[in-house]
Amino acid sequence: MEIALIGNPNTGKTSLFNNLTGSYEYVGNWSGVTVEKKVGVFKNNIGHLIDLPGVYTLNPLSRDEGVVTSFFLNESVDRLLNILDASQLERNLNLTLQLLEYERPVLIGLNMIDVANKRGIQIDVSKFSSLLGVPVVPVVARSGKGCDKLVDVISTKSVEPAKKNLVYYGKEVEAAIISLSKEIEGKTEQSLRFLAIQYFEGNEQVKNYLHTITDSVTLSKIHSALEAELQNRYNSKSLSNFIYLKRKETIDKIVAEAAVKKSTVVPLSEKIDMIVTNKFLGIPIFLMFMYLLFMLTFDWVGTPLSDALDALLTGPVTGFFESALTTIHASAFIHALIIEGLVAGVGGVLVFVPQIFILFFFISLLEDSGYMARVALVMDRIMESVGLNGKAFIPMIIGFGCNVPGIMAARTIETPKERLLTILLTPLMSCSARLPVYALFVGAFFAGHRALIVLSLYVLGIVVALILAKIFSSTILKSETSLFVIELPPYRMPQFQSLWRSTWDKAKGFIRKAGTFIFAGSVFIWLLSYAGPGGLDVDMDHSFLAMIGGVIAPLLAPIGFGTWQAAASLITGFLAKESIIATMNIIYFVPNDSSLQGLLANYYTPLAAYSFMVFILLYIPCLATTATIYKETGSKKWTVFSVVYALFIAYVLSLIIYQGGKLFGLV
Amino acid sequence: MFTSFKAGEKGKIVDLSHVNHLVQRRLLDLGITEGTEVCVKCVMPFGGPIMIESCGQCIGIRRKEAVQMEVVKV
Ligand SMILES: Nc1nc2c(ncn2[C@@H]2O[C@H](COP(=O)(O)OP(=O)(O)OP(=O)(O)O)[C@@H](O)[C@H]2O)c(=O)[nH]1
Ligand SMILES: [Mg+2]
Repeated sequence: MEIALIGNPNTGKTSLFNNLTGSYEYVGNWSGVTVEKKVGVFKNNIGHLIDLPGVYTLNPLSRDEGVVTSFFLNESVDRLLNILDASQLERNLNLTLQLLEYERPVLIGLNMIDVANKRGIQIDVSKFSSLLGVPVVPVVARSGKGCDKLVDVISTKSVEPAKKNLVYYGKEVEAAIISLSKEIEGKTEQSLRFLAIQYFEGNEQVKNYLHTITDSVTLSKIHSALEAELQNRYNSKSLSNFIYLKRKETIDKIVAEAAVKKSTVVPLSEKIDMIVTNKFLGIPIFLMFMYLLFMLTFDWVGTPLSDALDALLTGPVTGFFESALTTIHASAFIHALIIEGLVAGVGGVLVFVPQIFILFFFISLLEDSGYMARVALVMDRIMESVGLNGKAFIPMIIGFGCNVPGIMAARTIETPKERLLTILLTPLMSCSARLPVYALFVGAFFAGHRALIVLSLYVLGIVVALILAKIFSSTILKSETSLFVIELPPYRMPQFQSLWRSTWDKAKGFIRKAGTFIFAGSVFIWLLSYAGPGGLDVDMDHSFLAMIGGVIAPLLAPIGFGTWQAAASLITGFLAKESIIATMNIIYFVPNDSSLQGLLANYYTPLAAYSFMVFILLYIPCLATTATIYKETGSKKWTVFSVVYALFIAYVLSLIIYQGGKLFGLV
Repeated sequence: MFTSFKAGEKGKIVDLSHVNHLVQRRLLDLGITEGTEVCVKCVMPFGGPIMIESCGQCIGIRRKEAVQMEVVKV
């Protein structure tokens, strides 16, 4: 059995999905968290559950909404599980009525009962169910309350809608529905009434679908005749508005009968909003939040933890491997491979896990609390001035964790040009994989101002993105329309457990990558550094790695780090940014206790170190990001562009910083 | 007109027809149409967006779109 979850954005569909299937998909308190179809298996194995992006109607505006409509037209499911936000019934029912017209078995999960109760809304569930003619189960997806009952109902009850044609659209529209149905009868498996109404509403995807099965001229004749008639008789604005109003009548009737609203209490949410979206405090509060994040990650908590982990790895763990290798009489080759390749490479990356955790914890906090949409609101003015809109800031913030989901999140941006622009610029956001490089270099060169220096890099990424947005949007990506309407969800107190889970889920990716990709990469890099034209176990300066790096090194000299070592690590950084650190640990391997940090001072000046960090920040989207850009834009041209412009900007900025710094007497 | 509203003031929407087509669609999705009562929650500085509330739902819209909405105070 296949069951699809469908409902308005931010109503808790994914929370319920996770609860019913035991998986962990991305949950967050803003609209547009889920942007693609996800499939899971029910815990008790009764079938597949499909999670979809949230939509307000079946008539899509943005790419993520299009996913739902095309799912509806092209795939078949056995049942629809419609999730409603009980505290926003009127708005949610608009979609429900459309689903009922689709004439597939529907079942309603009435979510957020707790929120509704707090607002003084009481819903008579059995009344509600009989009015709609489908089963309704109250649930609290966050805590799992009512989920068992829901599964029961899904797997047992017949959910054939009891009432057909819940909305009566008036005799003119009904007559037109019949004549349009005649045109397409027998040519499609979908509900004819559903297709007709969607067509009248101006649903582009349905229109295209109908044009493939029947003559478009006849259809548009019916459409315009109906519109003219309504215009004459009722002075209606447009056909779609007329349909909307008819639905609204029905909805108001249902809500009046099934729900009572008692006294209104001012939610805490609005009090918090007075502060965080305050006229003057909005942006400073956001910057404060960022600063706090970096202080915790790089100064107060993260660095001490990483140092402790580092001591553990270089001391006892390496010691353990050493003695184990000696006991089994491993050959010198194996010994070097494990100690100088794997332990140095993989270990060098794992050391940064505490910092990664703190970073992800903060991002999860941002996502779960409801602050995310507020940041978008606060930033809109700035974003508008560079030809983007506030919503584009959400993919960028997510990009701080990892650029790949950031780019995916751009799907919620309605206008194609703004979406493309956001996709192109999100890689400039400093993702968590770049963080180890900063941690290493600020530790070695800027120990006194760790947080400040790192903050400057993140801000630089944002500023460069904004400037480029301005340039691109006034040259190659001119767009006339810009749309910004954003839903601001109520604040929700993040629960520790869900915060922990989403932090873990993100950080897990980092650890997994260290165990697989970086592991294999470390072996490969080490081999390249171990072998050379002169055979095996050559001096590293005569290894293959040095030869490869040496080709590019001269190009890097003007920006402060023209060594083959830097060049080699930058090349591996394209595969995954973490491998920059893994490579450096292998290249600069020191058998004794003196750390990589201390050693770096021989190869970089502080100015060159800063220039290096800026270069790492901007120089190229990693392989996974590049693949995602290609997938999302569907264009080779834009994918190549995203790589080339980044290289160019990185080089120019590093050049300015390094040469400019030298002019001012910095070293 | 919304721009003459101060934070906390309530109004009723009379006409949306001059607002950008896509914005109208989105507002409709969120249940805001002619006849809806809304309350201005806060106004961002430097011509930034404004935040309005209707039926317990807060929404951010741009100032230039808000200007085109016809609203009467209630
Ligand atoms: N209080 C309360 N909060 C809930 C409930 N269900 C979900 N939430 C919260 O609501 C927010 C949205 O949940 P999601 O599951 O991401 O919503 P969604 O419908 O998948 O959202 P989109 O993917 O954006 O369409 C999260 O912050 C959840 O923790 C509930 O029953 N009660
Ligand atoms: Mg979701």
